[in-house]
Amino acid sequence: MGGESPAEKALILLRSRLCNPTYILKQFSDSPDSNYSKLKFTLSNSITDACNNSILLLGPRGCGKNAVLELVLSDLQVEHPDLISVIRLNGLLHSDDNCALKEIARQLCVEHQLSFSKMASSDDNSHFMIAMLRECGLAHKTIIFVLDEFDLFTQGKQRLLYSLLDALQSVTSQAVLIGVSCRLDADQLLEKRVRSRFSHRKLLFLPPSNVYLLRLMGDILSLPTDSSLPYEYAIAYNAKLQNILGDPRFTEIINKLSNADSSLDHFVRFLFRAVCYMDLDSGFLFIENFKTALLSIQRQPKLESLKDCSVLELYILVCMRRLEVKEQKSYNFNSIMKEYKGIHDSFQTSDFYAQNICLRAFEHLIKRDLICFTDNRGQSQSVKFRPVKLLLSSHELFQGLKSNSSCPAILQKLIDRES
Amino acid sequence: MSMVSQLCYLQMESILRHLYVMNPTEFAKANCEGDDVFLCEYEYDVHWHSFKRLAEIDNSEEDDRKAGSDEDWDLCKDSGSDSELEYDEKNVKGSLPRKSPAHELAANSRKGHIFGLQKIGAKKIPEHVRCHKPTEIERAKAVLLLSSLPKSLPCRNKEMEEITSFIKGAICEDQCLGRCLYIHGVPGTGKTMSVLGVMRSLRAEVDAGSIKPYCFVEINGLKLASPENVYRVVYEALSGHRVSWKKALHLLNERFSDGNRTGKEDNQPCILLIDELDLLVTRNQSVLYNILDWPTKPQSKLVVIGIANTMDLPEKLLPRISSRMGIQRLCFGPYNYQQLQEIISSRLKGIDAFEKQAIEFASRKVAAISGDARRALEICRRAAELTDYRLKKSSSHPDSAASAKAIIGMADVEAAIQEMFQAPHIQVMKNCSKLSKIFLVAMVHELHKTGMAETTFEELATTVSRLCTSNKEEFPGWDMLLKVGCKLGECRVILCEAGAKHRLQKLQLNFPSDDVTFALKDSSETPWLTKYL
Repeated sequence: MGGESPAEKALILLRSRLCNPTYILKQFSDSPDSNYSKLKFTLSNSITDACNNSILLLGPRGCGKNAVLELVLSDLQVEHPDLISVIRLNGLLHSDDNCALKEIARQLCVEHQLSFSKMASSDDNSHFMIAMLRECGLAHKTIIFVLDEFDLFTQGKQRLLYSLLDALQSVTSQAVLIGVSCRLDADQLLEKRVRSRFSHRKLLFLPPSNVYLLRLMGDILSLPTDSSLPYEYAIAYNAKLQNILGDPRFTEIINKLSNADSSLDHFVRFLFRAVCYMDLDSGFLFIENFKTALLSIQRQPKLESLKDCSVLELYILVCMRRLEVKEQKSYNFNSIMKEYKGIHDSFQTSDFYAQNICLRAFEHLIKRDLICFTDNRGQSQSVKFRPVKLLLSSHELFQGLKSNSSCPAILQKLIDRES
Repeated sequence: MSMVSQLCYLQMESILRHLYVMNPTEFAKANCEGDDVFLCEYEYDVHWHSFKRLAEIDNSEEDDRKAGSDEDWDLCKDSGSDSELEYDEKNVKGSLPRKSPAHELAANSRKGHIFGLQKIGAKKIPEHVRCHKPTEIERAKAVLLLSSLPKSLPCRNKEMEEITSFIKGAICEDQCLGRCLYIHGVPGTGKTMSVLGVMRSLRAEVDAGSIKPYCFVEINGLKLASPENVYRVVYEALSGHRVSWKKALHLLNERFSDGNRTGKEDNQPCILLIDELDLLVTRNQSVLYNILDWPTKPQSKLVVIGIANTMDLPEKLLPRISSRMGIQRLCFGPYNYQQLQEIISSRLKGIDAFEKQAIEFASRKVAAISGDARRALEICRRAAELTDYRLKKSSSHPDSAASAKAIIGMADVEAAIQEMFQAPHIQVMKNCSKLSKIFLVAMVHELHKTGMAETTFEELATTVSRLCTSNKEEFPGWDMLLKVGCKLGECRVILCEAGAKHRLQKLQLNFPSDDVTFALKDSSETPWLTKYL
C-alpha cells in the first residue's frame, strides 16, 4: 500500500470513518444527558446489581439507536470481560416463536461453546433457555437479549415476549431485554399481560440539530496532523475545510439537506458522497463536492422517469390525463386507444402507431410504476381490459413534459389547456 | 470442576478388580478393560423414583457386547439426596432404535442438559459482587425488583385464606372430591403470587406432617406451544415420562376417569394450577372441557385452579364448561392506593431511602389508572434509579457545591412517571425536519377544511405547495414529499398506505390535531406555521 498519494490515503481514512457508526457517535457520547450515558448506566446496573430490566429504544430510523447500543455493549464488554453474553434477534427473521427460540438456543450454544442440535423441539429449546438463564445467573453472568424491529415480535400470541419477560422476573436469572423499534407506539402493541411485565424503560432518539451536525462534520472530516499523512497537507486541508464550514453557501446546502430529512444516517451518507467526489489531484474538498452530493442524494425519480419516456409513452399518459379530466371513473387500454385515435383525428399528428406497439409502450409504463391497475382482482383478464389509473398528478406530468426534450408541442398544449 | 457434596460409606467383603462405568459410545470403543465391563443404559431419576432409558445404541454394537454376569450392582440409593443422578447398571437385551449421537449430546436437547450446563460457571466471583457494600438506594432498588419475593404478601390475606380453605376442603378429606376454582383479575393483582404463596405454606404443613402429601403441577397457558400440549405437560409432570399428547390424553383419561392407578404415588390428590387459562380455549373447546371434566369424576382426586384476566370467561364458553368452571370464583380486584402503599412500604421495611409522600404519590397515580402492583413497583424502582444516576453523576464532578440528597423524593417519582408513561410523539414532532412539520400542519389544515380525517397524497401535496408559495418557502417536489410522508408513517406519527401508491396514497393523522398544534405552535424555524393551526 505504499504507492498511494496523500490524497488517496486521506480519502481512505475519511471513508472508513464515515462507514463506522461507533466512531461517529463516540465524539458526543460523554454528556450525562446523552442516551449513551443513560443506557450504559442502566445496563451496568443490571450487570453489577442483578436488576433485571426491559428497555425500549425508540426513534425515527437513522437516529443512532443501534449504533449507540453497539457502542454501549462494546464498552461494557471491555469493562466487564466474560460477564456478558449478547443474544441478537431480528423481528424480520425471527418473529415466529419457534424460530426465535431455536435461534436463542443456537446463539447460547455458540457463546458458551456447547453443541447445538437443530432437531430439538421448541419445548426443549425453551427449557434450555430457562436452564441457561439460571446457570448464568448463578455464575453472575448477564445475558442481554437485543430484539431488533421489536414491533414485529408483537404479532401473534406474543409467546416469546411473555416467556422472556417472565423469565426476567425469576430470582435466579440475570438478564436484560432491549427492544429497538422505529414505531413510537411499540409498547402499546404489547398485550396487557406482557405489558404488565414490561418495565417501561424507554429511551427516545431524536434527530440532531443543525449546529450539532456541523460540529460533527468538522470533527469527522478533519485530518489528523500526527498520522502518516504529510503535515503541511493536513494543515492546508483542515484550513480549507474550516473555510467551507464558514461559507454561507455551505450553510444553505446543509439547510436544504436537513429540511427534508434531518436524521444522522442521512447526513452521514451525504458526507460520504461528498467525500467520494473529492478531487484526488489536489486532495482538497471544495464546496462544489457538497453541491454535487446534494443533487445526487435529492433526486426526483418520477421526473427522471418522465424525462426518459418515449414519445408514444407520453401520448398515452396525456390521453389518460384527458380521460380523468373528462371524469371517466375508470378506463382501460381500449378507452385510452380511443382517445388516442381522437387526438390523431383532431390534430393530424404524425405519431400514430398500431395497437400492438401501443400495448408494448403501455406495459412499459406499468413496469415503471407511472401507471397501475386499479385492483388486483382481474389477473386472468387481458391487459387491454383491466382498468388502470394514472400515478402522476397533473402538476408532475406537466413538469415532466416540459423537461422531456423530445416531447411534441401538441402534448404540452393539450395539458396546458386544463391547468 | 465438580463439587462433591456428599460422602457415602459402603461396606464390602472383598475387592476383586477395577470396575468401569461407561456410557454407550465409550462402551463401543472399550476393548481391554476385562470381562466385568457393564453397560450403563439407564439413569435413575431421584424425583420420580424410576428408571429412564438413557441412550440409544446402534444395532451393530449389539453383537459385540458381552453379556456380563447376571448380578445387578446396586449403588446405595439415598432418597434424601437432592440433585445427584445415580446410575444403575443392567444387562442389555433386545435391539434398540438408532438415533444420531449428535442429537443426544447437544446441550439444548432434552437429554443433553446433563452434558453441557456444568460448563457454565464463573472462575471466580466478580469483585463487585464480593466486595461492594450496597448503599441504601441500591438496597431499595434490589427489594423493589419484581423478581425478589417478598417475605409476606400484604393485602391479599382474605383471598389467600379462601384459596387455602378451598384446597384443604378438597384434599384433606379421606374421600377427595375433585373441584374447580376460577380466579380472575386484571394483570398485576397478585393472583399467581397468592396461589403460589398458599402452596408454599401447604408444603410446609406437609413437611411438618400435619396434612397428607399431594402432587402440585403448575402450567402456564401462554408458555405452551399449542393448547393440546397441556396433556403432555401434565402427564410428564405426574409420571416423568414424555409421550405424545394423544397418548398423554389417553393415559390421563385412564387415570382420572377410570381411576386406574399404577404406583403408590398416584393415589395422592393432584392440584393443577393453570395460569392464563384463556389461552387453552380452542375452537371446539375440547381441551378445556377435558380438563374441567376430570375433577367431576368420582375417582379422579383432581383439583383444578384456573387463573385468567376476564371476569366473564366462563360465560363465553359452552354451557357444559361454564357449569363446571363457574361455580367457585374468586375475584382479585385492582389495588387501591392504600394497598399499593402498603405493598411498597412492606418491601422497603428497614430501608430508609424514600420520602413517605413519594410512595403515596406513586400509589395514588397508579391506583387511579390501573391498580397494577407491578407498575407501582416499577415506578418506585425507576425513581430510585434516577436518583442513583443523579448522585453518581454529580459525585464524579468534585466541584458540585450542593451536597446531593441521598433520598428519593416526589420530584424523582414525578420524573419517573413522565419518562415511563408519556407518549413520545410530541417530542418527535417538535424535533422533526422542517418539511415534516409543514407536512403535519398541512394535514391539520386539510382536516379542518374538509372535516374528514383521511386525505390523499395528491390533495396534501397541493396544500403543501400552496402553503410554501404563500410563505416564500421552497417547495421540494412531490417525490421528496412522498419520502417525508412515508418516514412519518413509519414512526406512526401519521398512518399511511404504501408509498408505491404515489398520489393515490391515503393518509391520516394518528394523534389528535391538538397534539400537533401543541408541538408545532411556536416552532422557531417556521413561525409562519402557527397561523394555520
